[in-house]
Amino acid sequence: MATDTGREFDGSGLRIGLGLDDPRRLFRGAAGLVGFVALWYLVSLTQPAIVLPSPVAVAAEFRGQLVSGTMSAALVSSVRHWVPGTIAGTGLGVGAGVAFAWSGLLDDVTAPLVRVLRPVPPLALIGFAIAWFGLNHAGAAFIIAVGGFWINFYATYGAVEGVSDDLIDVGRTLGVRGDLDMIRSVVLPASLPGIMTGIRTGLGRCWMLVIAAEIFSVPGIGREILRASNNLRVDRAIAYILVLSLLYLLVDVAFRAVQRRVLAWQA
Amino acid sequence: MAGVNRGSGSGDESTDEYVEAGVAVDAVGKTYDEGGTPVRALDDVSFAIESGEFVCVVGPSGCGKTTLFRIIAGLTDATGGEIRVAGAPVTGPTRDMGVVFQEYHLFPWLTVAENVGFGLERTDRSATEREQRVDEMLDLVGLTEFRDSYPKSLSGGMKQRVAIARSLAVDPELLLMDEPFGAVDAQTREMLQRELLDVWGSTGKTVLFVTHDVAEAVTLADRIVVMAAEPGRVAEIVDVDVPRPRERGDPAFGEHVARVRELIGAGP
Repeated sequence: MATDTGREFDGSGLRIGLGLDDPRRLFRGAAGLVGFVALWYLVSLTQPAIVLPSPVAVAAEFRGQLVSGTMSAALVSSVRHWVPGTIAGTGLGVGAGVAFAWSGLLDDVTAPLVRVLRPVPPLALIGFAIAWFGLNHAGAAFIIAVGGFWINFYATYGAVEGVSDDLIDVGRTLGVRGDLDMIRSVVLPASLPGIMTGIRTGLGRCWMLVIAAEIFSVPGIGREILRASNNLRVDRAIAYILVLSLLYLLVDVAFRAVQRRVLAWQA
Repeated sequence: MAGVNRGSGSGDESTDEYVEAGVAVDAVGKTYDEGGTPVRALDDVSFAIESGEFVCVVGPSGCGKTTLFRIIAGLTDATGGEIRVAGAPVTGPTRDMGVVFQEYHLFPWLTVAENVGFGLERTDRSATEREQRVDEMLDLVGLTEFRDSYPKSLSGGMKQRVAIARSLAVDPELLLMDEPFGAVDAQTREMLQRELLDVWGSTGKTVLFVTHDVAEAVTLADRIVVMAAEPGRVAEIVDVDVPRPRERGDPAFGEHVARVRELIGAGP
């Protein structure tokens, strides 16, 4: 969905997000999709189902999983750790980003720690997730939160650092007093575009981490994909990958609609 | 010190009362430390602005006029001397001073009306009073119909009108302007100059206006503080005895421009 041209704001993020406002573009996109599925179908004729199942087989499996209720159960389970993990990671990342970028003291104190912790991949923390939270939603949410934290931390940190000193001067001359007032009335709104870009990237990253977080047998879509792969059920794995993609697409389009509304003041 | 460079000889007005009403720039100095070497940006700058007076500061680049402006606004600390507004030493930005910058610096996420009302939200005025004041200010600068627009859709001249309205909304004693019309085209600049004089006439504010444009200073000011560079200091203070509205073709206008240019050393 490379439709992020970032212009043509008319308030309806849904249409824009999917590129449905340009018929020619829509047609080309549809042609690409149809062409891909056709190619997939042709190649699948030459391969056994455990290597590449046909789109028809995948659709049938998708339907089967949907009807049996397995899919919705997995979806609900994944959402139950994705939502708290994403909220915690985003909230803490944005909060820490604002605090560290605003306060030179905090920044100095934490800089070495940040440098040490930053390169640690969320998956490396699985042992801690299990030890601290257990094999449950909380443990999976922890992994997701760690991934979301860093993206939001750096995006917010950069956005706050980029707030022009001049706007802060103007705030001071107009009676803004104290750090909290300045952050609330000038710094946050001025850095909101950067912060929201970070949140959007983080939403996607957290959704990808759902799979990783379910590696230690917390139920969900990721778990279903791993299990299907282990059983050489490629058709089922693809069906669940599609669920993951569709849900991400939905979340991303919805967030873009919010973003465009909130940032309507932007040039 | 309050009467520095002023020829006021009215004996029935005590010095204290005089200071109460205006602005005193008293022996202000500023030294930067640049890689171990102290650089003298401002040296013993003193002058006074009477309440209701329009004073321009002109000077060559590097004379420290923007530094002086920031010190008066309370945005930068001086390393010597002090600024007093209405008798009180300036220790930081106060609402007694409305500040207008060259690049407008409107809050892009706020509408025109919200920008104008920004400072009012930090006063004890009620919501209704604030609303009224915003309407009044928008009317003053002729932007009533743009009250709900975002800054991105305004021209440079309109943005600067919003910035002026925003700084005047909290009813400051002093309006401080740093090359406010430097970023707009010549036509708009002349229009804004006329409008500023109107606003000044109708509000009776004290104005300190920094510019590098000598003709602009002669158009606007009651008095012009001419600065010299290295170190930044007051070269001379020139009274502009030309009745308003001033015409550029007027010989008296030309004489003042020539005189100020000569002082700056920019040639006639």
